[in-house]
Amino acid sequence: MQMAAHTGSHLFGPLLARQCLRCRAPLRQRSCAYSVVPPPLDSEEKRMLDRFLRVDHAGEYGANRIYAGQMAVLGRSRTGPLIQEMWDQEKKHLQKFNEILAESRVRPTALLPFWNIAGFALGASTALLGKEWAMACTVAVEESISEHYNSQIRALMERDPERYTELLHVLKEFRDDEMEHHDTGLEHEAESVPGYWLVKNVIQLGCKAAIYASERI
Amino acid sequence: MPVKSCLTLFKPFTLCLRARAEYSQSFPFAVAAAPTPTVPHNICLRQGLHCTTARLQDGSKSDASSSTSSSSYSEHYQAHSAKHDAAAASQDDSMSYTAAEEASRPNTSYQDQDGEQDEEYETEEQLQARILNAALEFVPLHGWSAEAIAAGAETLGLSSASSGMFSNGAGDLVLHFITQCNSKLTEILAEQHKQIQLGQTEPKKTADFLRDAVETRLRMYIPYIESWPQAMSILLLPHNIPDSLKHLSNLVDDIWYYAGDRSTDMNWYTKRAALTGIYNTTELVMLQDSSPDFQDTWNFLDNRIQDVVNMATTAKQAQSTGEAVVQGLMGAAVTLKNLTGMNQRR
Repeated sequence: MQMAAHTGSHLFGPLLARQCLRCRAPLRQRSCAYSVVPPPLDSEEKRMLDRFLRVDHAGEYGANRIYAGQMAVLGRSRTGPLIQEMWDQEKKHLQKFNEILAESRVRPTALLPFWNIAGFALGASTALLGKEWAMACTVAVEESISEHYNSQIRALMERDPERYTELLHVLKEFRDDEMEHHDTGLEHEAESVPGYWLVKNVIQLGCKAAIYASERI
Repeated sequence: MPVKSCLTLFKPFTLCLRARAEYSQSFPFAVAAAPTPTVPHNICLRQGLHCTTARLQDGSKSDASSSTSSSSYSEHYQAHSAKHDAAAASQDDSMSYTAAEEASRPNTSYQDQDGEQDEEYETEEQLQARILNAALEFVPLHGWSAEAIAAGAETLGLSSASSGMFSNGAGDLVLHFITQCNSKLTEILAEQHKQIQLGQTEPKKTADFLRDAVETRLRMYIPYIESWPQAMSILLLPHNIPDSLKHLSNLVDDIWYYAGDRSTDMNWYTKRAALTGIYNTTELVMLQDSSPDFQDTWNFLDNRIQDVVNMATTAKQAQSTGEAVVQGLMGAAVTLKNLTGMNQRR
């Protein structure tokens, strides 16, 4: 009987070890397969997620270029550090979307070179008109970006909040950052610009067109 | 003692069989590999034991049954280790195996019914894929044509009229073949990727990786090389262009993904465009290649990959030179401003 127990433990050892391995394998696979975006179930979901991520990436890229343009003009003025701080946050956002895009194999938008130039031009031209104009531009852009994040969050919540927990977390965090930039802009006399309403609407119209184009191309 | 052990063994073996049936159901290709006539005693025992341990760990099942089965196992094992008569052991095996098989028959037949139901519910796509797979054998004979599909359908016991299922005829056959080749390549690359991650093989340089991937992919055409020009012309028919482009872009994207490309800027496009160009030109060279084992084609491929590597380094150098020039000009402008006293930030 003792012998049986002995051989039993011999047999049990590798079995248990193998079972442990079997338990661990899928866990590890899951953790490296995706961290933020769940693997899409069908082509329709894939298309939706691709569109969301592509336009978000393009948006953060454009925002980065706008701040780069503002910094090129106002970098050495008193508002420089403030813009730099907001720019650093946008850099982090872009970094995150670069990771997500590469990991879930989403094609970046083909309009990136255009957003590169257009973003820089918008940032630099408003900054040349003065610090208030730059802030008005920031307010307009950040408002439309956070609105856009909100609509994405709403769409994902409608589909399945459990499934997209991670992605929703990222989007909400970024949305809050953008709202903070928006408020910072308002605090720094963005509304004192002559024709503020017109400026804001023109820029927001441009943003909407950019979002529409980046989702598709 | 052998009779008793047979009876007590009954339970783990049934469990083992059931586990096996479930396994083969989820992995149909494993059915052929499963050794049915003579079951290796050890494996089966281990699986049975595995089932019992799983049951033990599960806890939701009745403890009594699982404990009896596991104890019966150890009893049997003791008996076996005590007598070293191989012939008796094998007889014992076969007896217990058949008994277990008979006992679990209702179970398996039920699963067979399930299988039949699955067959009824076999989607049209699955049937089409089966026909097209069979049709590939007839491509060297009939070319990429509806005749090949009809011949393939006949080998499956279907009417040759079932080639009418394919509205696109030969186009469907070629596109199916391309899809198959692409997924085969993806499997190979994924396997390599896994081995690199496990540290079993050294990661290749990107240029070598691309070269090998394209070569692997093009080698899949060799059995059909005689009729491949025909297939290419079918792919270029206007109604096939969207699909063939999609397959091509998927292929190139897969290769770059496994080559470790994670770019999210315009490099994404330039890289894919470059590889598409290489792949297509090499394919054209391959069609006219009469050298042994297509050696000329692979030389051509080497040279094209080298061209792209050179181009990339040149582009990088040009970019850094450009940046240096711009910085120099900016510096000169500031100096000029300072000299003329126009600089406001003094």
